This record gives sequence, structure tokens and C-alpha cells, in this order.
Amino acid sequence: MTTATGLQRYLSSGVLMIWGMTLTYFYFSGRVASYLTPAFQTGAMIAGIVMILLAFGRCFVVRDTDACCQGECAHVPKISAQLIGAAILVIPLICAAAISPNGFDASAIKNRGYVDNVAALPGYKPYQEPALPTDNGQASVPTSTPAPAAAATASSGSTVAASTDNAQQDQTFIPRNEAGQIKAQTIDLIYAAQEPSMRSDFENKDVEMIGQFMPARGNNPNGDRFDLVRMFMVCCAADARPVAVTIQTKSPEKVAEMSWVKVVGKATFPMVGGRMTPVVVASEVKPCDPPEDTFIY
Amino acid sequence: MGDSWFTFSLPSFFFSFLSVVQEGVPFLLLGSLMSGLIDQFLPSRTMLRLLPRNPFMGICAGAAMGLVFPMCECGIVPVIRRLINKGLPLSNAIAYMLAAPIVNPLVIISTLAAFRGQHGVEFTIMRMGIGFLVAVLAAMAVQKMPVSAVLREGVIAPDGGVRDSAPQGSIPSRLRAALGISVSDFLDVLVFFVIGVAISSTFNTAVNQKFIDALASNVWLATFSMMGVAGILSLCSTSDAFIAATFIALPASAKLAFLIFGPMMDLKLVFIYSAVFKKRFVLGLAIGLFILVGLICVRMNITQL
Repeated sequence: MTTATGLQRYLSSGVLMIWGMTLTYFYFSGRVASYLTPAFQTGAMIAGIVMILLAFGRCFVVRDTDACCQGECAHVPKISAQLIGAAILVIPLICAAAISPNGFDASAIKNRGYVDNVAALPGYKPYQEPALPTDNGQASVPTSTPAPAAAATASSGSTVAASTDNAQQDQTFIPRNEAGQIKAQTIDLIYAAQEPSMRSDFENKDVEMIGQFMPARGNNPNGDRFDLVRMFMVCCAADARPVAVTIQTKSPEKVAEMSWVKVVGKATFPMVGGRMTPVVVASEVKPCDPPEDTFIY
Repeated sequence: MGDSWFTFSLPSFFFSFLSVVQEGVPFLLLGSLMSGLIDQFLPSRTMLRLLPRNPFMGICAGAAMGLVFPMCECGIVPVIRRLINKGLPLSNAIAYMLAAPIVNPLVIISTLAAFRGQHGVEFTIMRMGIGFLVAVLAAMAVQKMPVSAVLREGVIAPDGGVRDSAPQGSIPSRLRAALGISVSDFLDVLVFFVIGVAISSTFNTAVNQKFIDALASNVWLATFSMMGVAGILSLCSTSDAFIAATFIALPASAKLAFLIFGPMMDLKLVFIYSAVFKKRFVLGLAIGLFILVGLICVRMNITQL
């Protein structure tokens, strides 16, 4: 066994062990929720465990001659190349795990551009009005698409239940706080601005929302507006988009950028630029702790 | 700060980097495990017997193989590396490599879902069809090239031929060898994956998207700039349709180009491909695909979708 071959065995095992432990740590610590949607989280955990097993396998089970039997031993990299490769694999991962803050900072959010129009939301399906009954009194086709907000935000405990023809029934599913205010997400109001049946659930009603404070992007001559932002993730954080709702306050708020705030106010939907836009007229804005799921899936 | 075209933030970079790594590594690992098993348990004779003898039909079969053996773009490179070693013609492997991340059941479902209500069926059919066509055309071009101009040294056996006609040895020893090969393939490709993800994460977090959106003012500009965006963002082919569907202001040809070019060539893939192919070939493939996909999508003139 040459030095290069021996080193390769231990470096490979070490790299696999570090990667495997990092992935399993992210899963079992719950940090994975900030990086991946639930659909991908289990896969990452399994990959982590498999990598740990492979690390043991590579170290104790695979003989160095196993790979040589087909001439691959001729391609064992030089020691310097092996060390550089291991450094590329390990250093960024460890730095990322140590430094990564479980969320984007303000500059990255601004660079991604806010979503304040439901049509710009990943996975949005245009609303279809329910079909009218046919002559025999039956619904002609499956009536309407389910309220996307319900599907899109189900995992984050969002407000809006599936839209049905029975508004009364809807109301019973809308979660409220102890004061009777509707607990809403930014994404709910974005959808409500587009869909009449959902809008009636919110319009001119008191809502309670949690999000991150960002300075208003414009149209703020008195300095009494800000944007309440939540990140909406499709598959992983890299594709997440900031979903923003404008908050109108009585006076300019002195809150640090990106800090979490709870807003209580009345949901309105004025026409801005030819389309209905959600604006919450706040009666109260106060700092709060981040929610359990900082992302909306 | 938000109006600058480039604002780098190390924490956001690492955040994006970790998210793509955690999403992509399971697929990369799956591909590597398959590559080890293919190497040790797939007799090359069997594989070659199943392939059509006609080279063109062989390429078409390769491009359609993703329907049966679906792979995403991250995991496919270790697999085709082993298939080439098993004697799969290079052109067939290229067709499979380029088409499988698009022409596969998961991507069909996700594209249909993402574009539901926005001509989803038409979009999905065109994505599959053009993806298949481009993969076949690229593979036919590769067919005329010498292997030495395409593959890196050491990727195929020293004699340049098929390594074995039938795997030999006991099952435990073959499993051990498969494990060793899987680990070796995984780490080889992982290095390039990490470099590619690091670069795409830089663009993903530091470049102001509105400066990219501004390029999309006409069909030609929109189509080619969206391919550039796909190359930079390096999204997974199973999820990119959900992103493309949000570009509502863009012409359909631009969205289609985004969905076809991205899974075939992006920043992370440039590095992953470099584990198997020569740099010059990868560069040529990137330019060729960029032009071919762009021209086809623009010429389709599907502005009505």
C-alpha cells in the first residue's frame, strides 16, 4: 500500500464522516427546516446517515486492492491533490455550518426582489370562479381550484382554509388569537388581493401578522410605511422569494431592519397601479421572537 | 444598497450554499451508489444487447432512457461515467446525460403542476420535446468526435475499451468493490459540485435580480438572458418549473429556454461535467447548447402561451 493510497482511504473516510455528520446534525437539530422544504428534509437526513456508513465502509471494509482490480490504482491522485480536494470539500462546509445564519440578510432579500403580487409567486395557479350548475342542477365540472394559500402555507400553520362556497364554514377554520383577530401570513393577504372569495375573509377585518421589518421600497412620503416580509420557499432556501405586505403605521417606526415584529391592524386592499394591493393599517407594531418556522413553504 | 447590482454578504452566501448542497447531495449520492452497482453488477454484454444497433436509434434510446431510469442533473454524471466504461457509446451516454434531467417522470409532473392554468400541458410537451431534440442533436455532434477529444484521461480504462464483459468475483467482494467505486465517484464529483454551488450561490445572493430582469425586454434578449439566469441559478430540474412559472412578464419562449437549458448546463454542471469531460469539450457543449436551445425557442415563436 503506497502512502498516497493509504492517505486516500483515510481522507475519503474523514470527508464522508464530516459531510454525513453535518447533514444529520442539520436534520436532528431542526436547522434543516430553514434550508429545505419538508419534502427534501428526509432525503438529506438519509444521505447523511448513508455517508456515515460509507465512511466506516471505506475505512474498514473496502480494501485498497478492491478499486485496483480494474486498473484504477493507477489513478490515485498525488498527495497534494488529495489534500487540496479534501480542503475544498471540508472547509466551505464547516464554515457554512458555523457561519450560516438560517436566513438571508437584508441585502440578499433586496437583491431577490419582493413578491407583492400573487402572480409572481412560485407555484401560483390562477383563480377560477366556481362553475355554475347545469340544467339538471349538477355542478358541471370540478368547481374551483383550491385556494392556493391553503395548500401553499398549510405546513406553516397559515390562516386560510380551502375556499368553499360556504363563507360561514370558512370562518370557522380561520385561526384567531385570543383577542379574536385573524392570525394571517403575508402570503394570505397576497392571495386575498387576487381572489374575491378570500378577500372577503380579510377585508376590513383585524389581523395579526408576524414577519420581518424592512423599510418601504417607495411610495412612503411620510415615512409611516414599512414592508412586512416572510420568505416563501418552493424546494430549498436558494429559490426562496420574499413575500411582502405594506404596513401603514400612525407614525414612523424605529425598528431595526430584518428584526421580527408582530403587527396588529386592519387589512385593506386599495387599488395601486391598477391592481388590488394588500395594505395593513396597523394599530400596533411590536418586536417579537421569530416564529418556529421562519420560512413559509 | 438594494440598488447596487452586486452586494456580497458572506452569511447569505453560506446560507444559499448550504441549502443547495443539502438539496443536491442526496441525488449525487444516489447516482454514485448506482454507478458502483452498475460497474459491478451490470454485464456490459447485456446492456449492449439491449441497445438498438442503428446509431441514431441508439441515441434516441439514450435520450429516452430517463423515462425508465430517471436521474437529476447532479446524480447523472457518475452514472454515465460507469456506463461509458461498460461500453455504452459516448454519444448515447451524452444523449442520456442531457435528456434525463428533463425527460423523466418527476420533471413531467412538476412542470405540469407548476404551469397548471398557464397552458401546462403544452408547456410540458414542448419542454420534453425540445429537450429530447436538443439532446439528440448534441449527441449526434458528439458521435462525430474522437473520444479523446471529449473524455478526460483516466475516465475510461487504460486500453480505451470495455472493461469487462461480465463482472467477476463473489457477491461480497463485488459489493466491496462497488462501495469503493461509489465513494470514489461521489467524492470526485462532489469537489466540482461544491465549486459550482459556491459560484452559483454568489450570483444567487449578491446580484440584484432586477438588473437581470431588465434585460428581458424583447424575445431574443429575454430568451438568451433567461438561459443566462438558469445557468447562474443552477436550480434542480424538479423544481425549476415553479420558478419559471413566476416570470409572468416574459414570453413563453424565454421560460421554455430557461427550463431546457438549465438542466442541461449551469454553473455547477460546468464543474461536475469537468470531472468526466475535457474542459474544452464542456465549454464547447455549453456554448453549443446555449445557441441551439436559444435559437429553437426563439424560432418556435410561442408568444401566445
